[in-house]
Amino acid sequence: MAFFIGIDVGSGWTKAVVSKDNEIKSYAIVPSGGDYNKAARDACEIALKKIDISTKDIKYTVATGYGATMADFAQDTASDISCHAKGISALFPHVRTVIDIGAQFTRAIRIDEDGRIINFIMNEKCAGGSGKFLQVTARILRVDIEELGSLSLKSKNPVEFTTACAVFAESEAISRISEGARPEDIVAGIHRAMASKIITLAARVGMTPNYAITGGGAKDTGLVKALENELKFKTFVPDEPQITAAFGAAILAGSR
Amino acid sequence: MKRYFAGVDIGSTMTKVVIFSGIIEATIIGPTGPEHRKLANKVMEEALNLAHIRFEDLSYIIATGYGRINVPFADRQITEITCHAKGLHSLLPTVKTIVDIGGQDSKAIKIKDGKVVSFVMNDKCAAGTGRFIEIMADTLEVPLEDMGRLSLTAQKAASISSTCTVFAEHEIINKLASKETIPNLIAGIHESVATRVSAMVKKLTIEEDVAITGGGAKNIGLVKALEKKLGCPVVVPPEPLITGALGASVLAKEIFEKYEREGQIPARSSCGLQEAKIFS
Repeated sequence: MAFFIGIDVGSGWTKAVVSKDNEIKSYAIVPSGGDYNKAARDACEIALKKIDISTKDIKYTVATGYGATMADFAQDTASDISCHAKGISALFPHVRTVIDIGAQFTRAIRIDEDGRIINFIMNEKCAGGSGKFLQVTARILRVDIEELGSLSLKSKNPVEFTTACAVFAESEAISRISEGARPEDIVAGIHRAMASKIITLAARVGMTPNYAITGGGAKDTGLVKALENELKFKTFVPDEPQITAAFGAAILAGSR
Repeated sequence: MKRYFAGVDIGSTMTKVVIFSGIIEATIIGPTGPEHRKLANKVMEEALNLAHIRFEDLSYIIATGYGRINVPFADRQITEITCHAKGLHSLLPTVKTIVDIGGQDSKAIKIKDGKVVSFVMNDKCAAGTGRFIEIMADTLEVPLEDMGRLSLTAQKAASISSTCTVFAEHEIINKLASKETIPNLIAGIHESVATRVSAMVKKLTIEEDVAITGGGAKNIGLVKALEKKLGCPVVVPPEPLITGALGASVLAKEIFEKYEREGQIPARSSCGLQEAKIFS
């Protein structure tokens, strides 16, 4: 029985995918915390347990992401950009642009019809428009991050944010709250500010109609809606958008 | 009879009031925090108590800073750049370049005879502002006021490669996990801010003396790091937080006296010492 594992050690979450014949058989998502190696081991253990197999059944493991090198049990590592490209082409073969919205990093990747990378860009210098905005917003509004999407969709009058800095957006949101702005309008305003920043980033690799959004940010329906409103195209979102790169890593593991 | 003037500086983190009569009669510094923003009147009351005068004894009041627009009892609003220049010049007349590191922005001002010649400002990105240091102090669980002292015991400043506050915070957590010492990390944090600030200051031609004001001036480690990056000594005024409010109070006196010389009475705000309105 040939199973493969892909692990994506992200700055916020660690994802493990167990695959067989290039199909997702099981997965797990755990917080990365401070010990990336432990997070990677935990994620694998949970994913294996779900389908009742053990490490003995695993033929090859590839790690990717921010803390890939920390997962000491993986046989190999691969860049997160190539894993994303692999993962998304397996899920949506027609997609040519992927926007990945992670906890800290946002990436835009252009791929050709064979899933090869044409170009990519990442917000290495500035967290403006990254998932950090969502964490900060959830914290100051005292709601779960999962609730932001449905809250945002209720907004009739989104707050206009003047800053693109994640740190200053927090103080601006607090000011607006103290002035009596409604939580849904704050969230919708944050989603708009993020969407505009993300689209500016993605425009630098060239946007195409068939695009997908992955990463934790793709789970936020309010953000996806804000992006669709700006881009005027339907967005493809995987069933579990957070595991796209881990799935790509598992596919790479299978080919080694 | 002595005449009293007031300057109110509402910054993003601190509200400062100075009562001035030709000499500084009272200075009060209180937090601006979200729920305190409306309470500029409370800080003013404290300053009045300290100076042993009543609100009615003030001849003219000028508000400055980020929240200056919403101080109903102020007679006039003047930008913080002008007030900083004025206030600093009244304390340290030899200074030609002011670097102000505040809670939410940083700026550099060139002055001549107490007037602004040119200035540059960063309020777009938290890196290179006091906020960066505040966030890192929280991350390291070190009280903000201990950051300066601790950094002086560093063996070697840790190198922090990220500019963005969010990324740098992550970098510091990782470095902490790999057993980098707290003093080395703090020294690295100060270097990072000093690098950003000095790049901004160098957009102006630096002329000595150089002074530093704002909350950043209270951090000896940051001052030392900035001296190194700028390549010249930096003077710290006795109370670096009040230069804006002081300048506002000095300007209040000058403006009032100018009206008086011309035989006029300046228009006053009709509001008494009431709560400031919520910020726009």
